[in-house]
Amino acid sequence: MSHSAPAPMVVVIDDDYAMRLSCAKILTKMALRAEVFEDGARGLNGVATTKPDMVIVDLKMPGISGMEVISRVHEIDPQIVIVVITGYATIDTAVQAMKCGAYDFLPKPFSPDELRLIVNRGLERRRLALESQRHEIEQTMLKRRFVTFVSHQLRTPLAAVHQYLDVLKHLDQTGDGAARRQEWLGRCLTRIEELQELIADWLTLARVEGGSLFNERIKVDLNQIIAGILKSYEPTAAAENVSLEACLPDEGLFVPGDRNCLSVLFDNLITNGIKYNKPGGKVTISGSQSRGEVVVAVADTGIGIPEKYRPFLFEEFFRAKDDGAKRTAGTGLGLHICKRIVSEMGGTIDVESQAGAGSTFRVRLPAWREPDIVGSQKDAGQQANIDCR
Amino acid sequence: MQDNKRILIVDDDQDFVEAVACFLEANGLTVFRACDGAEGVRMAKLERPDLILMDIMMKERTEGFFAIQEIRRDPSLRRVPIFVISSFCTRLPDFEIPSSGGWLAHDMFFAKPVDTVQLLEKIHQRISQAA
Repeated sequence: MSHSAPAPMVVVIDDDYAMRLSCAKILTKMALRAEVFEDGARGLNGVATTKPDMVIVDLKMPGISGMEVISRVHEIDPQIVIVVITGYATIDTAVQAMKCGAYDFLPKPFSPDELRLIVNRGLERRRLALESQRHEIEQTMLKRRFVTFVSHQLRTPLAAVHQYLDVLKHLDQTGDGAARRQEWLGRCLTRIEELQELIADWLTLARVEGGSLFNERIKVDLNQIIAGILKSYEPTAAAENVSLEACLPDEGLFVPGDRNCLSVLFDNLITNGIKYNKPGGKVTISGSQSRGEVVVAVADTGIGIPEKYRPFLFEEFFRAKDDGAKRTAGTGLGLHICKRIVSEMGGTIDVESQAGAGSTFRVRLPAWREPDIVGSQKDAGQQANIDCR
Repeated sequence: MQDNKRILIVDDDQDFVEAVACFLEANGLTVFRACDGAEGVRMAKLERPDLILMDIMMKERTEGFFAIQEIRRDPSLRRVPIFVISSFCTRLPDFEIPSSGGWLAHDMFFAKPVDTVQLLEKIHQRISQAA
């Protein structure tokens, strides 16, 4: 228990001795820490030193008024939850206290149960407020880290291109120099292409995160999408000496979603399958549907992913350090984008892999459900059924 | 231009290394290339360069920091000038260099991409000062 956070602290400010005593007793019994003070000045001092989660204050006290205590407590920490106690419980005083920033009020006399209820409610509110504040800070820091990293990623290829051109300006371009220039210009083009790819991926990610691509969920046939992608990658795969194979059900694989997002998803998985493969290797896409779920697996016979890297595979900018494998170009965003798309669509993605033998990425998505209207257009997706084996 | 001064360049961007190394070689310097911090430390100990050009962000980590600390820990490399060339920071970064008690007067910072003519000039200047 020594590692758990300390119990919440409640400060009670009331000029009535009996009231302070009974409140402290009830609060201590609730396993809370309690401090009591007899007037506003001492109370505010106490608040400043004990940094409580909650303040319970009597509205009618000699010296500093309860109303003033409320606003001064919030000057110390606006997240402190304040409950006012009043013997003259009129709507007016209650409203006025709320306006000053009190969370709730407790009319005198009140029972221990009433106090417990209001304290628990107030502390819960405090917990939620702190949590959302923490979450906000975390998000800001994540964004800042992302921006730093992206700007470095953007600058690096630009710096390389700049450096080549800068040096070319100063070097002799005749004889061997001419061949070198040709080689360097080729490298410049490659680096610029990488940069364009990174910007494109980054934009896709921003759009996926913005959620604008998910407003419309139409019936999409994955067979058709996958067939189109495979067709467009035939030349690349042939050049890498990798064969592509699909094993999809004739009746189609229908999911509710956005066509562009689903294209990006399977495009990324299939490109990876080709890119991280071996000569003579294979990429197999298989799909099935059961119990309201569509499962598509993209399996390759490539270099595989060492186990230690698997937990980070879907994180932004993560790239497995190639242990003896060939150096492969990539932005480090592809799988992260896949993960975002799949989760936005209410599905999951995971990977099974054997280092040196290959990886299988498995995407699970909720299947398309026909609306409960009789006579729905049963063959809406029929023309999409292309047998691509 | 007879000059057999030896420069070690440590950077994980092969294109950057290629461009800068070619330029320095064309200007009579001998250049050793290392593509990460560990290789940089190894090469520094092996080749005893007159000056080291060091990147900071390598392999998605601030490997340059550790490489500099490691190099300066070697008594015979304690005085070797180090030029930090980075797009990650905007001045000599603030970090602990235990053995030399911080940056040396002849260490320098260059933003990436670097003005190669100016770099060459400063290299000559620092090497002659250090000698």
